[in-house]
Amino acid sequence: MSDLLQSLLLALLFFCGTGILIGSSRRWMTGLLALQYVEVFLFVSISWPLEIAVVKLVAGWMASAVLFLTYQNMIEAEPESWFAANPPGTAFKGFAALLVGLSVYSLVPLALRWFLGATSQQVLGGLWLLGLGLLQLVLSRDSLRIIIGLLTVLSGFEILYATLEASVLMTGLLAILNIGFAFLGAYLLIASNLEENP
Amino acid sequence: MSTPLIWILLPMLAAGTSLFFLRYRYILRWSGLGFGLILVVSGLVLPINEVFKFLFWEVKLSEQLLIFGRRFILSGADRPIVILLFSLWLFWLLIMDPKLVPAQFIPLSLAGICLILTAYSVEPIFYGALFFAFLALIYVVLLSPPGKEPTPGVLRFLIFQILGMLFILFAAWLASWIDLNSGNQVMLARSLLILALGFSFLLSIFPFISWISMVSERNHPFLSGYIFNTYFLGVFLFGTRFILEGGWIGQGLDIQLPFQLAGVIMLSSGGLIAIFSKHLGRLMGAVIIAEIGRSLLAISLFQAGFPIYFGMVILQSISLGVWSISLTQLQQGIHDLDFQSAAGAARLWPVITSGLLLGYFTLAGVPLLGGFPIYWALGSGLSFYPLWINSIFVLSTLGLVYGGLRLLGVLTKNAGEESILILAAPSYRYLILGLNVLLVLIGFLPQLIFRITRTISDLLLGS
Repeated sequence: MSDLLQSLLLALLFFCGTGILIGSSRRWMTGLLALQYVEVFLFVSISWPLEIAVVKLVAGWMASAVLFLTYQNMIEAEPESWFAANPPGTAFKGFAALLVGLSVYSLVPLALRWFLGATSQQVLGGLWLLGLGLLQLVLSRDSLRIIIGLLTVLSGFEILYATLEASVLMTGLLAILNIGFAFLGAYLLIASNLEENP
Repeated sequence: MSTPLIWILLPMLAAGTSLFFLRYRYILRWSGLGFGLILVVSGLVLPINEVFKFLFWEVKLSEQLLIFGRRFILSGADRPIVILLFSLWLFWLLIMDPKLVPAQFIPLSLAGICLILTAYSVEPIFYGALFFAFLALIYVVLLSPPGKEPTPGVLRFLIFQILGMLFILFAAWLASWIDLNSGNQVMLARSLLILALGFSFLLSIFPFISWISMVSERNHPFLSGYIFNTYFLGVFLFGTRFILEGGWIGQGLDIQLPFQLAGVIMLSSGGLIAIFSKHLGRLMGAVIIAEIGRSLLAISLFQAGFPIYFGMVILQSISLGVWSISLTQLQQGIHDLDFQSAAGAARLWPVITSGLLLGYFTLAGVPLLGGFPIYWALGSGLSFYPLWINSIFVLSTLGLVYGGLRLLGVLTKNAGEESILILAAPSYRYLILGLNVLLVLIGFLPQLIFRITRTISDLLLGS
């Protein structure tokens, strides 16, 4: 993949990660998550054969679909606008994402010494997702956001780990873990509405 | 036929199937008890790598299972772990009150045990970290039963476990790099640091301890007790195998001091939290934090510490068990588990509160109870090490005892209340009394426990 294309992908990845962080609509969040998995797949496909890398895409889309279908069927209303009715909060999150982006960018030369077989875009993309995912985990108490934050962290890790090792079992297990997160998120969303026992 | 098939896949299948029968909780419990007993007995008697006759067939049980080029091994030397884990499950199933514990406890707890065994048996061992991530998912579901919102503590538990997994996987990759560049001390230090961070997340070592108190305060006491008991045991087993098989000890590294430092920090944190706790659930959290510290101190003694560690596991299970069922029953009589609500409970429900007190004091290390001889052995082992470790060990134990005395004061306080509410069925009251007697008996006959734990550690370290 050419450098220019990788850089474009990188920009899109940062846009998706930040969009998930600052957006308030669940639908938009899931849509961006699904788009994010396309970019993760493309970054992973630089290091891995396409037929193994596509597992990331399939698992990611399945995870996004599970989450989307769950709150699509939930009764409670949710804000459908992109931004929350809390502009200072959104601005703060956006600023924090920018800071994470800049600090991660400054770390890339150091990180490239660890990930020898990786391109700088792969390393930057992986670290960005790790950073933005962690930011999501730190800033949120909502179970859905935490699950999406974990999925983002895991995506970042998968990009980086793909440059180090290509194991079928590991790929399979990480894919199951992604889907497991989505099912857990779905369960946590509906758990309080389920019939109590005992 | 192989041992992972019998002790991992078969119970996992049973756990999955039983999810469809959650309505029939009594049938589920009794069949679970029967199945658990079969698993324990199979761990005791099944010959491995030998041909034996089973009904009409001649069977040879292999010790390994190959999946996608990775091996899952449960050899004869791992028998004690299999027996210990399934016995623990059986014990918790035996003491659960189906009326007060969510029905999904039975399948999910069994699946959890299977995942611990999977993490323990996989080769290369670092894959185990991934199975702990799956275990965390299952335990989050277990801690968030239907009808209840997921608590912040549970979500934090999930985050910490996933971060721990990522750090361990990364450290394992770095470690494999060191093999190629042997002698690279900088890389070794980096990978050790990342590994330590990974295990700190998994074992909730300071400053990642907050979720323990949060879960013990807000979640179901029985479920919390079970998860504290089995999760940390699983992580310790995995960690021990990781260190032994990864050759971390053979690299000429001093990992004893970090273990002792972490142990002392955890123990003192537990002691401090116990002193200031005003909630029965948080008090359980304090004891758990202290137990993690003691376990780290025991493992830091290596060969001499393993029998002590396994002794602590057995004792912790019984004490946490009696504490958890007592707290679950007590919750039916008081609206909250803070000290104010629990004041005078011993005057109203003496048997149930006796379970709380004995369970707590055993884990605090009060003389004449089961914990004392085991912690005494740990203290004796530590006496060869710097004074500050021993001082903190004693002071923290005193902190735990002080917390227990406060609990005693609160429970026996004359609150001027009278209640005709009878808590717990007679069978559970007898069960609490029986477990109390067992805790006292262990205090008088600790050699029985040590004989078992020495056998376990000899078998494990001999492998």
